[in-house]
Amino acid sequence: MQAEGIDYIRFTIVSPETIKKMSVAKLIVPDTYNEDGYPIDGGLVDQRLGVIDPGLKCKTCGGRAKTCPGHFGHIELVRPVIHPEFAKTIYLLLQSTCNQCHRVLLSEEQIKELKPAIKTYVAGDEEEKETVVPTETQQIQAQVLDEGSKAQLLKKLRSLKKCPHCGAQQAKIKLERPTYFYADGNRIKPDEIRDWLQRISGDDLEPLGMDRTATRPEWLVLTTLMVPPVNVRPSITLESGERSEDDLTHKLVDIMRINQRLEQDIDAGAPQIIIDDLWELLQYQVTTYFNNETPGVPVARHRSTRPLKTLAQRLKGKEGRLRYNLSGKRVNFSARTVISSDASLTINQVGIPRRIAENLSVPFYVTLWNIEAAKELLARKEYPLVVNVISKEGIRKRVADTNREELEKIIAPGFVLERQLVDGDIALFNRQPTLHRLSIMAHQVKVLPGRTMRLHVSVAFPYNADFDGDEMNLHVPQSLEAQAEARYLMQPKDLVLSPRDGRTIMFTEEDEIAGAYFLTKDDAHFSKDEACIMLSNIGITELPKAAKNGMYSGKSIFSMVIPKGMDFDEEYKGNHVVIKDGELKEGIIDARLIGMGGTLIQHVFSEYGSDATMYFILNAAKLSLRVLLMEGVTISIRDYYNSDFVNKERVKIVDEVTQKASMLLEKYKNKQLEALPGYTKKETFETETLVALEEARGMASKTLEKVLDRSNMAYLMVLVHARGSVLNLVQTSMFLGQQAVRGKRPSRGYTARTLPYFKRNEKSPEARGFIRSSFFDGLNPIEFYMHAMGARDSGMTKSLVTAVSGYLQRRLINALQDLYVDDNLSVKDASESLIETIYGGDGIDPMQEQVAKEM
Amino acid sequence: MAYNYELIPEHELVSASEAAKIAKKFRTPLEKFPKILESDPQAKKLGASAGRLIAIHREDPTGKYVYYRYVVKS
Repeated sequence: MQAEGIDYIRFTIVSPETIKKMSVAKLIVPDTYNEDGYPIDGGLVDQRLGVIDPGLKCKTCGGRAKTCPGHFGHIELVRPVIHPEFAKTIYLLLQSTCNQCHRVLLSEEQIKELKPAIKTYVAGDEEEKETVVPTETQQIQAQVLDEGSKAQLLKKLRSLKKCPHCGAQQAKIKLERPTYFYADGNRIKPDEIRDWLQRISGDDLEPLGMDRTATRPEWLVLTTLMVPPVNVRPSITLESGERSEDDLTHKLVDIMRINQRLEQDIDAGAPQIIIDDLWELLQYQVTTYFNNETPGVPVARHRSTRPLKTLAQRLKGKEGRLRYNLSGKRVNFSARTVISSDASLTINQVGIPRRIAENLSVPFYVTLWNIEAAKELLARKEYPLVVNVISKEGIRKRVADTNREELEKIIAPGFVLERQLVDGDIALFNRQPTLHRLSIMAHQVKVLPGRTMRLHVSVAFPYNADFDGDEMNLHVPQSLEAQAEARYLMQPKDLVLSPRDGRTIMFTEEDEIAGAYFLTKDDAHFSKDEACIMLSNIGITELPKAAKNGMYSGKSIFSMVIPKGMDFDEEYKGNHVVIKDGELKEGIIDARLIGMGGTLIQHVFSEYGSDATMYFILNAAKLSLRVLLMEGVTISIRDYYNSDFVNKERVKIVDEVTQKASMLLEKYKNKQLEALPGYTKKETFETETLVALEEARGMASKTLEKVLDRSNMAYLMVLVHARGSVLNLVQTSMFLGQQAVRGKRPSRGYTARTLPYFKRNEKSPEARGFIRSSFFDGLNPIEFYMHAMGARDSGMTKSLVTAVSGYLQRRLINALQDLYVDDNLSVKDASESLIETIYGGDGIDPMQEQVAKEM
Repeated sequence: MAYNYELIPEHELVSASEAAKIAKKFRTPLEKFPKILESDPQAKKLGASAGRLIAIHREDPTGKYVYYRYVVKS
């Protein structure tokens, strides 16, 4: 029974007759297996409901455990019971129908008026064109049936005292959760409710918002209970041979037990109180069978006091059927381990531990042209092994030493071999959270010793990975289509430019930048030996032209990694970089060129393509690292010693800003301070003081920049953008400066002061988080406390912002996920609605075009 | 109503035959174009009734391009 397509799905309520029709067995015994461990006929694991034990045959379809899909059974409830999930619907029905004649509490005229409105409301899109445009009054009435105003209509009905049809007095219906109904304080029992609902005529269902062709209201009160097949609630055989039943089976046993006792008591003519008690108990069991978390109902528990997982619990929530099994799937051909860096891999490769490669397989399609290679592969007795052989008929055989030769004889074009992963295979590499397309990229496999997966440091950035214990996932695409798609669309070498702004997002960092500086600075010269070591390291066996004194300039060595014949010219902040015919003539290579958003990498990519870029990044990084290894960069405490001048400046700066602050305070106290537009005087004073005090850092930065030079390695790293900032230097050697909490000076803690060491309402810089000490000097306790306040605030803000913006982005992605760019560059969504006439207003793909310059 | 504010791009009423051509060009029916209410000041200004197409000549930092909106009943 395979449908070609689904036109529509209609959800309705199942009638007791349908349940009986679907059922293959009426269950009567509230038990599972007899003493011999054999399923009891009419019990909850009746063999007509299907079988799960191997060897047994289903009594309905004759199928075995694997072929029998399972069949529904049913239980006849002795007394009707409210379906707990429909209690609210029943409540609405009772409120809007007469308790005597069971008509809707609407007059004939009202119903007539409503009718066309209901029709247009129900008809929907399909008949839209045929229906006459509804009149204004009808439109308003259609709105009555809208969610919001539905409640208003109900309110009206509820307040009705008399039935417009028979004039009977209407009782006030109350619903006590979960399933008790009262009319003017007297309990209405489920059987009475069922009778009531039964008497509502089909004509009246329409104004009540029910579809008379599908549903009868009395079906909301259960008389028969559908019992799911055993496949849905399999029992588990424990190691001890003991059987353990599913929670659902337990619950059903409970229902049947109470049902049976109720029947016996009724037959024996037991007093009404006892029967009512049992009836209520049956209601409880049925309620918890549907949802064991029904509000107002005690949770049904297992013997071990563990709450039972009943129907609703199976579907609900993150671990439920929908989110866990249907939206979330587990996959084969995947691997996960810790990652580490490897400067020798290209950005396009991923290092895979041998053990993982041996465990993953990839299909090898045998054709007329590769059958020899296939046979050779199959004959192998070590590592790149063939794991499985799949015949033309699709029969899969595991390759073992015993059957290898036999299989070798039978393979022919059309067979598929499953061989272990080898170098050059394509694999998808992923790090979570998967925030953008660059979080999953297709790498070429390189099998390596060790237990970690390895990647080049330059691709760590798009993955947002570091190597402090991060783990990543690997997936091996199996079909040729998937492999081709990955190769064409997902290789890192093709994704060097950011889809956001077309700037480079795979680049060199830190040590590599520092190394590039030492290599390309104007006075860098290397001996022939050094040049040979550096170049052979990146696989270049030629030397550049030597200078007159037999030395090799760093620029000429760096030129060896520049694509042949390339021209480039760019000036930024006095560093004029000129590359002519593949020769670095002038300028220093720094982060501006090969770091984040590096223009040189961008240039190579747009002029020479992905492979050239891949090797340029690899070689430039490797070469620079080698230079750094030879040169060495050391920072020591000495780099943070202040000269007398700096120490004098330091005092001067702090004095200056504190003076400014006290002047502001003076002005504020004398009420001379002019309030900024939109702010109170107090606020103005605070912001202006904050601005004045925060200025200290900037002044200190300027002082340091004046004094320090490239002989200071810490400062050198700042200058070439390898690591650190001037602010770091200021804070270590001069002073920390103003701390901020919520963008303001710290002010809370004790009554009107931050700490009890200050006077109340003191507004001096020290009392409000200005720190004069540096990390070098160490902080005094008060300063330490202020610093901790600032640090905690920024830590909390950061974690909050990432959570909020992460969720915001997730929602955006979900909303935009089915948009695509059509071949005429317009943007459409899955329903082919036009979103944009031209992608981005200019039809430019930032990943392809060099647009950053223009922006 | 702000009909002629400098930040409002130029709106232009597209003739029915032209609209059909545009729908063909984008290979999607006019009903699936972005919408504009009949009561929108710009639609009112052009006297556009439901079923017509309005071309919006936009100019922003990315470039100059034409956007379309299909007029619907408000």
